[in-house]
Amino acid sequence: MNRRLKLLRVGVALAIFAGLTAALADFRGAIPPRVGHWLASAQFVPSLVALIAGTAFGIVALVILLVTLAAGRVYCSAICPLGILQDVIARVSSWWPGRKQPRQRYAPPSTWIRQAVLWVTVAGVVAGWGGLALAAFDPYSNFGRITSGLLRPVLTLANNAVVGPANAAGLTALYRVEPHWASLWVLHLPILLLIVLVVLVVWRGRLYCNTLCPLGTLLGMFARKAAFRLEIDKNACTKCAACMRICKAQCIELRSGAIDFSRCVTCYDCIGACDNGGIRYRWTWRRRKPVTSPAKSEGIVGASLLATPPKAPPAPRHAWGTELVERASRLQQRNESGLAGIPPATPVPSGDVPDPARRAFIAGAATALAVSIAGSARLQAGPQAHDRDAEEPGRDRRAGPYTRTICPPGSGGIDRFLDRCTACQLCVSACPTHVLQPTWAGYGLAGIMKPRMDYSIAFCNFECRICGEVCPTGAITLLALAEKQVTQIGEAHFDEKKCIVIVKSTDCAACSEHCPTKAVYTVPYGDNLRLPKVNPVLCIGCGGCQYACPALPEKAITVASRNLHGRAERPVEQKVAPPASAGDFPF
Amino acid sequence: MKSRRDFLKTGLALGATLSIATRKNIFAAEAPASGEAAPAPVTASAAARPVLVAVRDGSRTAMLDQALAALGGIGTFVKKGQTVLVKPNIGWDAPPERGANTHPELVGHLVKLCLDAGAKSVSIFDNTCDQWQRTYGNSGIERAARDAGAIVVNGKDESLYREVEIPGGVKLKQAKVHGLVLDSDVFFNVPVLKHHSGSLMTAGMKNLMGVIWDRGAYHRADLHQTIADFLTFKKPTLTVLDAYHPMFRNGPRGVSVEDVVEKRMLFASTDIVALDAAAARLLGHQPSDVRHVKIADEMKLGTMDLNQVEIRRFNLT
Repeated sequence: MNRRLKLLRVGVALAIFAGLTAALADFRGAIPPRVGHWLASAQFVPSLVALIAGTAFGIVALVILLVTLAAGRVYCSAICPLGILQDVIARVSSWWPGRKQPRQRYAPPSTWIRQAVLWVTVAGVVAGWGGLALAAFDPYSNFGRITSGLLRPVLTLANNAVVGPANAAGLTALYRVEPHWASLWVLHLPILLLIVLVVLVVWRGRLYCNTLCPLGTLLGMFARKAAFRLEIDKNACTKCAACMRICKAQCIELRSGAIDFSRCVTCYDCIGACDNGGIRYRWTWRRRKPVTSPAKSEGIVGASLLATPPKAPPAPRHAWGTELVERASRLQQRNESGLAGIPPATPVPSGDVPDPARRAFIAGAATALAVSIAGSARLQAGPQAHDRDAEEPGRDRRAGPYTRTICPPGSGGIDRFLDRCTACQLCVSACPTHVLQPTWAGYGLAGIMKPRMDYSIAFCNFECRICGEVCPTGAITLLALAEKQVTQIGEAHFDEKKCIVIVKSTDCAACSEHCPTKAVYTVPYGDNLRLPKVNPVLCIGCGGCQYACPALPEKAITVASRNLHGRAERPVEQKVAPPASAGDFPF
Repeated sequence: MKSRRDFLKTGLALGATLSIATRKNIFAAEAPASGEAAPAPVTASAAARPVLVAVRDGSRTAMLDQALAALGGIGTFVKKGQTVLVKPNIGWDAPPERGANTHPELVGHLVKLCLDAGAKSVSIFDNTCDQWQRTYGNSGIERAARDAGAIVVNGKDESLYREVEIPGGVKLKQAKVHGLVLDSDVFFNVPVLKHHSGSLMTAGMKNLMGVIWDRGAYHRADLHQTIADFLTFKKPTLTVLDAYHPMFRNGPRGVSVEDVVEKRMLFASTDIVALDAAAARLLGHQPSDVRHVKIADEMKLGTMDLNQVEIRRFNLT
């Protein structure tokens, strides 16, 4: 049973990885929106944001915490696409000619880095920068940015390279797709992260997950206390080190026979590596008589997560504690005396103070979560955040009612959007028109790589609401289509001095042609010409007019953002009265 | 070589034409005398008056059958082994009932007729205004055309367009034209009749904007003149206008079904200018009100004077 765990893990991981990669790298709308939505909704941070915002899938974050508390960081190996990506990188790099199978050895935890990253994230959320902090550190969103920003255009180019031959061979299902690269400004972040990942993976396995990922640290706090933990059976262990060498988390300390379960990503590789079946999941709660480690104390057993650990006699508590193991291994490196030479209760000579550090670590687990939620209270505004925001105009971080950067329909307004969006790029990949593009500085610091409407590329399709369908966080609410069609995300402004009809005295009206609500209409002008006019009451800011306007060098009609989305009037239509015609045909 | 089935089909079609045409003469005051005889081939001589077929009050497919029969049958236009391009108006992501695009039923039926006439292949595309996959899909045209056996081609692939010189153009001197227009043996233009906020009306000539890559260039260079200029480069073999429920307002995109009115008409002609002139009348305009029609007439690319046109009228009720 224990050995089959790895098969299960690999199966689930590959399914989730394949699905998310397909959804995020989808360049021709081949993946149904719900696939990406469901898989992304099963991710921790999107689900946490959705939970706080009160969206249906939000419960997933709690489930993940419970699973972690039950069996460790299952999320990190089976669900997190960035984690799985690292496994893929490790596998691919092992195919490199001349490269030996990666061999790991135990490494002490980088406790301070882990803590610092987690607390910076938490502090960011508390300070009202949750939109930035969560976006920057969410592993799923980072994966999304790599896949959508880098892989998708590459796949598009590959597709375009084979379209010609494929069509010639009668395979008409393939067609060319215009590749949309984000600017290098935008892409340097995922490029940088990808490089860091490759280096860390090749060098030290899952070091990213155990230092830089705040979610890894958070889940590690729960895993440390998991009910079922992987443990080494002392009786079976021959100290062959096979498990240690294969452990990508570098968390198996062989000499003491301890597994630092807060860093274990539950890949189960070690289970299979042990010829003696010496590593197994064991129930560790309420274990009155420790099976393999007599030193396990009741001080840990049954300790509530939220409570400060009870003061237990130090000696048994620390016999198998990580800090001690760490210290021991360091000592071992200096002096081959080994663990046996160190009395468990001996005060440490070094500067490390294990007890408070550990307590802080555990207490952190509780507070990190509690504070995140408390600090994100601003997220709790429902999809109709309009009213609340209207009551507090001072809350708006940006000056003036209009800016150039326009956020998608369903996001309510720029403030609400930036708070909830984690910049995972799922909507950017799914948007059929590609009007949604990641911005660099358009929203300011909190909005790096978050999607905006780019009317130089396309305009928002009137009948479409796919961005709302895929969004896992609720940053883009799925509006009813009729509601989306009256949601004002911006407002068209017409500068007739630049208009072709006036400048050249010829007909044009490309703007009015594209307008889905006829907010841009035409009136008779000059000698049998038609001049555009804008009715702002009907304008929803879809950008059709701006995109279509052929005027050079500057567009005559442009859309300015409504930082707080509004509601347009719905065009009320009577049946058109056709000109009366006599006889069969009017000619 | 004609198979027996083809022979029977032609015979039946001809028979139906004659009977309906004869009956029609009773009602239509201006009905041409040619209804009695087998329809004169419209492509025969330049000296002959251009022929416009106007059909009403039938289903789309029946009206198309009637119009083609009146022009000598599909075989007049499509020979065995030829490649055919059917260019509908697939501009907008809107369902058929909104009248923003050519009706899929009409497109599908024409494709089928072409293939039945022995066409080697029938291709379909448009340089859409809305996102092309959605527009192809929601217009219903992709499905209807595929089901009928057509090849549906991406109109948003710039690599399929080729730069050509247009020596006869006044404002349009060169353009990137879709390869299917340049390479197909037969070019059917199948527009839908709509009001247009910029050009007043869109029918046959305006629909040809969908075969060039850069629409903005048309708008910058003088919309009406460039629309007319294109005809100096290429005229469609035949234009079939879907006027089943023309859009009388808010065109060319339309806002709702309230913008269309059921007229149940279909026009067909090899003279695209004459066809557009008739279309203008249906929308309540004088042909000369529609500037590109007037310019095309002045450039002798066709005639907008319907008195100079032999109009064959059919009422299928």
